[in-house]
Amino acid sequence: MFLAFKEIKHEKLRYALITAMILMISYLIFILTSLALGLANENTSGIYSWNFKHIILNADANTSLSQSLLTANQISAQKITNKEALIGQASVVVKKAASSNVDANFVGIKSNQFIYKDLQLSLGHLPKNDQQIVVDSSFRNSGYHLNDWVTLNSNTKKYQIVGFVKNAQYNMSPIIYGRLTAWSSLKNVSPTFKASAIISRKNYYTAKTKKTASYSTNSLIQKLPGYSAQNTTFSLMIAFLLIISLIIVTVFLYIITIQKIPNYAVLRAQGIPASILVKSTISQAISLVGAGLTLGIFFTWITTVFIPKSAPMSFNIPLLSLVALSLIVTSILGTLLPIKAILHVDPITIIGG
Amino acid sequence: MATIKLTNVTKEFGSNLSKVTALKDVNFIAESGQLILIVGPSGSGKSTFLTIIGNLQKPSSGTVEINNTDIQTLSKKQSDALRLNQIGFILQSYNLVPYLNVYEQFTLANKVKKTGNLSHTELNALLTQLNIENIQHKYPSELSGGQNQRVAIARALYTNPTIILADEPTASLDSVNVSEVGQLFHSISQNKHKTVIVVTHDLRLKKYADKVYNITDGILTLEKNV
Repeated sequence: MFLAFKEIKHEKLRYALITAMILMISYLIFILTSLALGLANENTSGIYSWNFKHIILNADANTSLSQSLLTANQISAQKITNKEALIGQASVVVKKAASSNVDANFVGIKSNQFIYKDLQLSLGHLPKNDQQIVVDSSFRNSGYHLNDWVTLNSNTKKYQIVGFVKNAQYNMSPIIYGRLTAWSSLKNVSPTFKASAIISRKNYYTAKTKKTASYSTNSLIQKLPGYSAQNTTFSLMIAFLLIISLIIVTVFLYIITIQKIPNYAVLRAQGIPASILVKSTISQAISLVGAGLTLGIFFTWITTVFIPKSAPMSFNIPLLSLVALSLIVTSILGTLLPIKAILHVDPITIIGG
Repeated sequence: MATIKLTNVTKEFGSNLSKVTALKDVNFIAESGQLILIVGPSGSGKSTFLTIIGNLQKPSSGTVEINNTDIQTLSKKQSDALRLNQIGFILQSYNLVPYLNVYEQFTLANKVKKTGNLSHTELNALLTQLNIENIQHKYPSELSGGQNQRVAIARALYTNPTIILADEPTASLDSVNVSEVGQLFHSISQNKHKTVIVVTHDLRLKKYADKVYNITDGILTLEKNV
C-alpha cells in the first residue's frame, strides 16, 4: 500500500488519466445498466406488480397476453379462488382535449380479485364503477390529471381518471386499470369472450381445456415483443465494456510495471520480497478502479438529478453495486499480467553478470 | 572468521561452442572489517562474482558460504531474507525508487525489515557524514548523480547488513566525492566491522582497500594485501 499510494501521489497526471478512463467506462456501464433496467421495467413492472406464478392463455396466442382470448366455458373450467384473477387486456389510445394522445394498455380487472385489491395508488382512489379508471403515474407527465375525463380509442364513452398507480407498465406502454366489464367493448370482441387470461398465485396451476395453456411468469415476460433482444443487446454492451475495462487496466498497469522493472530488479536484489511488489500492484489497481467508480457513481447521481423524467432509467442500488463489484474483480484480473512480469523480474538483467 | 567464502567457484554461460566461462575456479575469502576491491575490465566477470555472492545466481560448480551457510541450499524466500538482513547492495544506477523521496527510501526499508535497522540518530549521523542531511524531502530526479549515489549508499547501510556489495559505486562521483566514499567504506569496514566488497574500474579507491583483487577472463588474482 505504501509503495502504491506514494507512486500515485507522485505520478498524479498519469494516474489521473487512468482514473478518468475508468470513470468514463464505469459511468457508461452505470448509465447503460440503469437504462436497461428502466426499459425492462417499462416492459414488465405491471406484470411483476401482479405477483403471480402462472398464467392461463389461449393455446393459440403464442404466449402473448394481447393475443389471448378466453371464452366463458374456458374460464369456468378453471378453478377460480382468491389466488386467481381474471385479466382483460386491450391496446388503447387515450385522448383528452388539449393533451397529447397516449398509447396504453387497458387492463380490465374484477374488484373482488387480488389485482384490484393490491393496487398501490400514489394518488386518488380505486375505480368504483365502469366509468372510472386508474392510470400509471407516467400519465401525469403527459398532462393528465386526477378527475380528468378521457376517451379510449374511437369510443364516445368517457372514463374518469380517479387515481394514479406506480409501476404500471406493460410492453413499453402505461397501464390503465378499469373494470373487466368495460374490457370487451374496448377489445371489440364478441360477448362469448370474457377475459384475456387468468393469473394464479398458486405454485401449481394447469390449464383444464385443450385450447388453453398454462405458462410461468418468466415465459410470458420472455415472449414480450423485443424484450429478450433488448436485454441481450444491453447485456452484451455491458459485458463488452467490462472486457474493455479489463483490457485498459491490464494494458496501463502492464506498461507502468514494465517501466518500473529496473527499480523492481534493484528492490528484489535488496531482498524486498516479490509479494510486496505484487500487493502494491493489486492495491494500486483497486485504488484506481475505486476512485474511478466513486467518480462514476457521483456523475451517475448527477445524471439522475438532471435527466428528464420521461427517460426510461431506473437506478437499482443492489444491481449497480454488483456492477461496481464486477469492475473491481475485473481490475484485479487486470493485474495478473503485470504480476507475472513482477514475479519474473531478474536482478541480473540490471546488475549484469 | 570468514564472512564470505568461495571455494572452487566456476560460472559458465551457454553450452558447447557458445560456452563462456565468466568465473574460473575462484577461491576467495573475505573477513569482517575488510574493504576488498575487485578490479578488472568490462566483461572480466566482476558483476558475475558480485551476483554469485549476493545469491542472485548460482555458480556452475563450487560452493559459496556466507557466515558459514552454504547459500546455494537456500530457498527463494531464504535468499530474499539473506539479502534483506545480511547484504546491502549498492548499484551503478536505479538504486532508488523514483517516486519516493530520500526519507521515504528509508521508510520503505523500515516497512520491510522492521528490526535491526539504524536508529534515527544513527541515520542522521550517517546522512550528515554523507553530506545529504538536507535533501531528505527531495526525490531522486531532483538530486545530482553524486547525491543519488550517496543516498543509495546510506540506503544500503540503513538495514545494518554485515556485508556491503557495491557495483561501481563511484561511477557518477567527482574526485572529492570518490575520496569521501572511499573513506566512508574504509570507516564502515574498520569501525563497524562490515565486509565491504567493491567491484570497480575506479583505481582511486585502491588506497582505501585492505585487499585488491584483479579479475581477468574470470580468473581472480590477489594484487594487494595490506
